[in-house]
Amino acid sequence: MKYVFLSLFLVMSALSVAAWWWQPVAENDRIELVWCSDDNPMRREQIALFNQLYPQYRLKLDPQNSTMEKVIVQCLAGVGPDVFDCYSGFQLTAFVRSGIALDSTEALLQRGVDPSAVWPCLRPLVTLDGREYGHPDNAHAPAMWFNKAIFDEAGEPYPPNDWTWTEFIEIAQRLTKRDSRGRPVRFGFIGYWDWQSALAQWGANIYTSEGTRSVLDEPKACQAVQFMQDLIYKHKVMPTPTEEAAMSGSGGWGAGAQGGGIIDLFGAGRGAMAIGGRWWLCLLRNETYSKLRLGAVELPRGPSRRVFGGGRSTLVNAKSHNIEGALCFLEYLHSQPWNDLINEQADALAPVKKYNYTEGFLYNPEHPEEDYNAVWRSALENAEPMQVSAYVNGQTVDRILVEQLDMVKANVKPATRAMRDAARKINEAIVEQLRLDPELREQYYAAVKRGARPAWDREEDAP
Amino acid sequence: MGPRRGRALRRRLSATIIAGAFLLPNFLGFVIFTFGPVVFSLAASFTNWNLMKTVPLQWVGLDNFLKLMQSPDFHRYFVNTAYLMLGLPVAIAGSLLLAVILSQPLRGVVVYRTLFYLPSFTSGVALFILWKALYNPEFGPINQVLETLFDWAGLTSVKAPTWLTSTQNPLALAVEYAGFSPDQFGLGARDAIIIMGIWTAVGGGNLLLYLAGISNIPQDLYEAAEMDGAGACSKFRHVTWPQLAPTTFFIVVMSFIGGLQGGFEQARVMTLGGPAGTTTTLSYYIYVKAFEEFQIGYASAIAWILFIIIFAVTLLNWRFGSRYVNY
Amino acid sequence: MSITDTRKGQWWFRRGRFYTSHALLFLFALTTLFPFTWMVLASFKPLSEIRQTNPLPSEWHPENYTDVLNSKDISFKKYYFNSVFVAAWVTLLTCFTSSLAAYAFARMCWPGRDAVFKLYLATMMVPGVVTMIPNYTLMVQLHLLDSYLGLIVPASFSAFGTFLLRQFMLTISPSLDEAATMDGASHWRIYWDIILPLARPGLIVLSIFTFMGNYGSFFWPLVLIKSEHLRTLPIGMLYFDSIYGRQTNLIMAASVMNIVPLIVLFVVMQRHLVRGIQLGAVKG
Repeated sequence: MKYVFLSLFLVMSALSVAAWWWQPVAENDRIELVWCSDDNPMRREQIALFNQLYPQYRLKLDPQNSTMEKVIVQCLAGVGPDVFDCYSGFQLTAFVRSGIALDSTEALLQRGVDPSAVWPCLRPLVTLDGREYGHPDNAHAPAMWFNKAIFDEAGEPYPPNDWTWTEFIEIAQRLTKRDSRGRPVRFGFIGYWDWQSALAQWGANIYTSEGTRSVLDEPKACQAVQFMQDLIYKHKVMPTPTEEAAMSGSGGWGAGAQGGGIIDLFGAGRGAMAIGGRWWLCLLRNETYSKLRLGAVELPRGPSRRVFGGGRSTLVNAKSHNIEGALCFLEYLHSQPWNDLINEQADALAPVKKYNYTEGFLYNPEHPEEDYNAVWRSALENAEPMQVSAYVNGQTVDRILVEQLDMVKANVKPATRAMRDAARKINEAIVEQLRLDPELREQYYAAVKRGARPAWDREEDAP
Repeated sequence: MGPRRGRALRRRLSATIIAGAFLLPNFLGFVIFTFGPVVFSLAASFTNWNLMKTVPLQWVGLDNFLKLMQSPDFHRYFVNTAYLMLGLPVAIAGSLLLAVILSQPLRGVVVYRTLFYLPSFTSGVALFILWKALYNPEFGPINQVLETLFDWAGLTSVKAPTWLTSTQNPLALAVEYAGFSPDQFGLGARDAIIIMGIWTAVGGGNLLLYLAGISNIPQDLYEAAEMDGAGACSKFRHVTWPQLAPTTFFIVVMSFIGGLQGGFEQARVMTLGGPAGTTTTLSYYIYVKAFEEFQIGYASAIAWILFIIIFAVTLLNWRFGSRYVNY
Repeated sequence: MSITDTRKGQWWFRRGRFYTSHALLFLFALTTLFPFTWMVLASFKPLSEIRQTNPLPSEWHPENYTDVLNSKDISFKKYYFNSVFVAAWVTLLTCFTSSLAAYAFARMCWPGRDAVFKLYLATMMVPGVVTMIPNYTLMVQLHLLDSYLGLIVPASFSAFGTFLLRQFMLTISPSLDEAATMDGASHWRIYWDIILPLARPGLIVLSIFTFMGNYGSFFWPLVLIKSEHLRTLPIGMLYFDSIYGRQTNLIMAASVMNIVPLIVLFVVMQRHLVRGIQLGAVKG
């Protein structure tokens, strides 16, 4: 027995040496920078270009920790990345308040970065109370993709740029096909169930402009979400959650929303139209989708012409050991090589406005079939920043919204009731958050004093 | 004090020191990673501790517990957890049935026993991913079989369940509030998880425990029953079942404890707690609160409520268990 | 064995029960095997045949397996290594620390022994999530997030293991170490040369349980590990499942590879296991 013990111990020690040796090798000739971002096939080239432009650094991607909470905890624990991505104004607030985002206002100025040169809808991703904390990576606003192959086959003319949602439904119904058992072969409309775009188009909001109260229970918002529900159950041009899960392989809940499953379905010709962004090309240029012929038009005209735009920005970890290198990365995000690369790769659109107004952007010689780049640009021109509230935890809001929207999407609850409940729960979460956090409470009351609508109706519910 | 007593004392002292040395490695780890954390989490459950450090740390007393008691989310997730435990009695009964069959002198008993134990031994992420594919409403083999059966029986209007994407359940529990809603009648995600759980558990450890229990029943009890002319059923009712009572009791309690803590992996791998939160169990809720929203204080309070329930059940076990054991 | 029917002359009765038993067992075995069979067959199918009803692939595609192993997006081999590596270390350390402590509980007399043992027993009831949260913050403080050490160390001190081995050691006759003490052997000698070899069945059972539990451990690595090269199999599988979406055949190939080591371990060790489970359930 003891020999077994001892020899196992030796074996494991040897394996430990092997494990040590199997770690990714850190090369010492360059300073290593870690960038926490989502994994995307385009990152490799984006990183290679940085390493070529700044030979003193070696940039590395850390793809699995891009959720905000993980970044914050890891930065506070001292194992954080040097630069990390930020996806919304709410996240920026959280990063700044937890003290891990570096205020780089002066450093950026010194490096000749002009913060006002980026798309306006990206400003909330980097600016808070007049200070600059990073630089946007790309810009995105939604428009309508369509598959020309399906339109041609059905003899349907391509949608015009100024169409209405009523026309959209008619076209989508004509393009939806089912087999004799009633199983769907193809949908007129597929893709993300983009209720936020509907919200924007109906002129509704998630929050009041100061983010002090959720107004999802207002009639316009309910109508917008009801419209999205009707696409599935009344007009039957969009898959039900079950049909979607059935098509996208493993069939679990949420499987479609992860890992580009939905984009894959669109690419495979299971739907004629989809609301999406230019970044879909990152996946759809792949040769597996050779039968796909893409077109894009602006979203149909709703009661309002608004769209929500957004993107990603990169911030600097205040505890990074390579702040100089991290700032070089921000400088890189502002430079022409990066912006041109983003446009070329179609990782959405370049964050700096002027690089989207070139011939090279409109007509990419390597992809002559992509004749719709002007559509994405004009979508961005109309885009407003995505709405967030600084007064409530974004994850909590997500959980509330996912649950309520799940029920709308599964047709077990009418949109009006779901939105009323969502608004009520979000407002409760705001009050809850304010009770916990005195600093936030002070800011909130200052906003209320300026005339913002509070999250409570009765005075005794105030925190 | 005489020299002898002194020596004895020294011997005892040195024995204690040696025992301490033997215990130390484990005890240190035990204190740091088990006992300490238990105390620590109890303390944390009375605070508003948030890992993100935007909120100043405060002692909030029973606030977290009071909030939980009033939270409709907590009630729903509690109902979900309880609902998923409905499969336990079926699984236990199945184990008992199998054990009775397997304890007969049949050929291939060992092979069968090995085979039945396979699901519970390999249970984990890989099997959950497998079941996700089995439950696929379109091409999953389960629905393919069901649809063939329906067609064969001429029930063309009956649709196969949509399993993991459905909020329905045979009890017609409403999705959101504690109540009933007739349109929720059917089979849904929770039932899918229950069925998978039964498949995993029937041939597992419980079966082995029952087998051991049956082999410990004195043979003369059966012989006596036969003298009285008892048949197989009556022997089961009057000998096997009462003799197995302690085993059954143990299994029920352990399953109950396991069930209360369960559902995390299934939810994380198969459903992300959806659809509409119907597969979010308490343990998944704790995970979300602690590791996604970083509300450590609140999450600790949920964990402690779980612990209190489990503790109560175990106490009941000690109080009333002995009665069964001395049957 | 126990329920034998000795009534003579009722051959039809015995026959009937014999067939019913076998039919039931066979039915159960089918249900048990069905998902596994489907998994293995699906793992050899081309993607286009996953959606079809033919049970056997029209053409066998073993390259699904090499595709998974050589995938660009995930390093499946590394996940394999990590899982086995972490599980093996935990197993070794657990066996060592638990057997030492079990020796102190089972073979030595010292004041407060029973109280400490009761404390051990009591904490076995604590749900894992209760200790998980403080342990996570402890790892944050110790800067052990995202490291092998963070995976191995907290798992290596098992109250259950101590309990199980104590049960085994109590069954070893006390005359053995009394004799050894007479010969002047130290406690370490007795533990190392006498008790440990005799507790072998217990150690084997504990090893299997510990290895199996840590090989498939999900929660802890999920919250602790951030680097790609430190991921264990369950976490890797989850990630693989999310990025390979529709490629059910590859996902099934990965799942098969995931459980094969467990099946091998199980088939080799199953005799020991049965006894272990039955002993572990006996209350101390």
